[in-house]
Amino acid sequence: MSASKRIVKELTEVTSNPPAGTKVQLVDESDVHVWEVLLDGPEQSVYAGGHFKLLLTLPKDYPFKPPVLNFQTKIYHPNVSNDDKGSMCLGMLRSDEWKPPNKLMAVINMARNLLIEPNPDDAVETAIADQYKSNRQEFEKTARDWTKKFAGRK
Amino acid sequence: MANQEDEREEELSAITAIFPELVLDEKNPFKATIDLPVAPASPLTVVFPFPVDGAPPLSNLLTPPGSDNEGRKASAAAPWEIRHLSYLPPLRLHIILPAGYPAEKAPQVQLSTSPAWLPKDVTRNLEAECAELWEEYGHGQVVFAYIDYLQQAAERGFDLAERAGGMLEVAQDMKIALLDFDIEAKREKFEQETFDCGVCLEPKKGSSCHRMVRCGHVFCVPCLQDFYNNAITEGDVASIKCLAPDCGKDRRGNTAQSTQRKKKRERTLNPSELLQIPLERTAVQRYVELKRKKKLESDKTTVYCPRTWCQGPARSKKYPKVTNLSQIVESDSDSETETPPKNEPKDLPPSADRLRICEDCNYAFCRVCLSGWHGEFVRCWPRSNTELTEEEKASYDYIRLHTSPCPTCSSPCQKTMGCNHMNCFQCRTHFCYLCGAWLDAGNPYQHFNQPDKGCYMRLWELEGGDEGNGEVHFDGARGWEAAIAAANEADAAQGNQDQNRDGPAPPGVPPEAPRPPRTDDDPPPVVALQQMQLDEATELENDLWNDIRQRQALDRRLQRPAPQPPQPRRRQRDPAPAAAPAAANAAAPPEPRVGLQRFLQMVRNDEEDGWDSDELEDVDGGWDIPER
Repeated sequence: MSASKRIVKELTEVTSNPPAGTKVQLVDESDVHVWEVLLDGPEQSVYAGGHFKLLLTLPKDYPFKPPVLNFQTKIYHPNVSNDDKGSMCLGMLRSDEWKPPNKLMAVINMARNLLIEPNPDDAVETAIADQYKSNRQEFEKTARDWTKKFAGRK
Repeated sequence: MANQEDEREEELSAITAIFPELVLDEKNPFKATIDLPVAPASPLTVVFPFPVDGAPPLSNLLTPPGSDNEGRKASAAAPWEIRHLSYLPPLRLHIILPAGYPAEKAPQVQLSTSPAWLPKDVTRNLEAECAELWEEYGHGQVVFAYIDYLQQAAERGFDLAERAGGMLEVAQDMKIALLDFDIEAKREKFEQETFDCGVCLEPKKGSSCHRMVRCGHVFCVPCLQDFYNNAITEGDVASIKCLAPDCGKDRRGNTAQSTQRKKKRERTLNPSELLQIPLERTAVQRYVELKRKKKLESDKTTVYCPRTWCQGPARSKKYPKVTNLSQIVESDSDSETETPPKNEPKDLPPSADRLRICEDCNYAFCRVCLSGWHGEFVRCWPRSNTELTEEEKASYDYIRLHTSPCPTCSSPCQKTMGCNHMNCFQCRTHFCYLCGAWLDAGNPYQHFNQPDKGCYMRLWELEGGDEGNGEVHFDGARGWEAAIAAANEADAAQGNQDQNRDGPAPPGVPPEAPRPPRTDDDPPPVVALQQMQLDEATELENDLWNDIRQRQALDRRLQRPAPQPPQPRRRQRDPAPAAAPAAANAAAPPEPRVGLQRFLQMVRNDEEDGWDSDELEDVDGGWDIPER
């Protein structure tokens, strides 16, 4: 229905005018519901130099329900679950916070901004969040190491 | 002359080309009418004074608002109703081009509004302006110039804002017409606009869009319908709010103190707005019901029907049951003052306020003791939901006190008659009713023939059956019973009570499996037990009567009668003579005692006797097993 029309519209918008350091493409050309986002670690962040692969999955009833964002590249971040899912779920991605007019461009931007400035108060990985708050140096070191190790080159 | 006529005709036809809405009079070709829309650039502030003491408000209208009105306004500011109108009923211009126009005569003009909201002095001034213009134009054609002048004046709001403190006073009786006009005009304008729906990201005509009543955000109707219908179907009431991502957030920030209440109130939509969008009535109905349910559930004072199959909420004035959508549409359920949750007073409500009636099944009950309504003059106490009901507790106690668990499957067994060789009705295990020992199926009676065993020669003890008067009591407990007992022991006070009830076992001693075999020398412990439990046991009997009879019937059906030849039934089942004084009570014929006990119980509970008197008489008979 109109949902896929909107998705196509958003996709054109994002691909024709992508946010800095990102590249968006469909995993499978025939399915507009699964997007692959390639995100370069922002220069000013500890993830600089990293190339992160994110999966943006749009539910069947998108935009009524929020998209699901997963980091496929391992990342040391308080807001990204440190498991094979690498899920990020905060702010507008929460189903009770999501509003249909939110756009995927905004979601991608939010993910990018979170790399620059993590949100330890709304963390999935509380241990990392604690470290981020109490021992920033150690956090940054590990984050850099992981970036080098897991997100160095495709 | 002919020239002049041509000039008039020419002018009017030119005007008609510019203003197609100009209507020429059929009889007089030089008479025309045009409605000029009044949409001031900045909304006009209109005051509708409430008629005071029936004073004709019209007089206010006729006298030009002046300083004296301002004084009044200040003194009676409160009861005045102030509205800001962007659209007002049009200014109607009647214009007649007389013979001799334009060279000799000025056009005759007449201005009016319907209803007459524009003050007379204003219209008079506007009318006068026509002649002035005509003079200014050197007696030339002025119709277009005049219309243009009027339009500009209308856009300035006829400079009404500069007088009377920026307010136009209009009689109350024109209020509805003016407001309606404003709304209608706004709607028309809205319908002609184009909006980008934030959901489908398509540009949509205003006619297929909806503007949120409270915040003014615009979305297209199909998207709103899809979203809200979906949310209502899923029962997600909290999502029924404006879809704009930042909507309501600013306001929440502004009103930091009353955040919690504001948030709730401002967000979910009024059902009437859903109907406006429009949503199906059934969906809106469901929305209203869901909302009400949420409110009921979040209100700690809500009382629910104690009937387990019903559990509807009791009728309440605060959240009236929705039967008719039009009712709720009128009342703005969101603006209803959401009373902050009152701290439930620890004191019980006064007896006059204890009656509750279930709105679903119409059951009238007491909200304190949750039993059927007992009138205002009965003292009652709260019943905790965690407590077992009187009936359940009685059954449980009875089972614990008066049955012997099968040593294999723990099914509670009660002997109705016969010898103490039991055959479990569930698993067919052979066991001894007195001590719970397993018996050899091949020769079960050997157990009673061994002089060194506690049950020696006691095969026929309690031959008439254990009627639940505590003659036989086993401490054996099933797993869950043991767990409960352990939990109870942890709770010292509770534990004590339970233990006392259980028998003479000291508190803290876990219930053990079959009691050590008795010897005939010992006074049978059951007697002591009986003494201790007499009060409780007899009390229990009342409630248990039905239960017992059912059990008896069940046992009769399931338990094979003992293979021994029937013996005359003995009422005194405990053979120990030492028990005589204590047992005398218990041994008395049960009928009178039971009847009396029951009567007392009923008096206590203010109940009516559901028993047939026949039944009472037959009670003893009911216990008998026809002998074969």
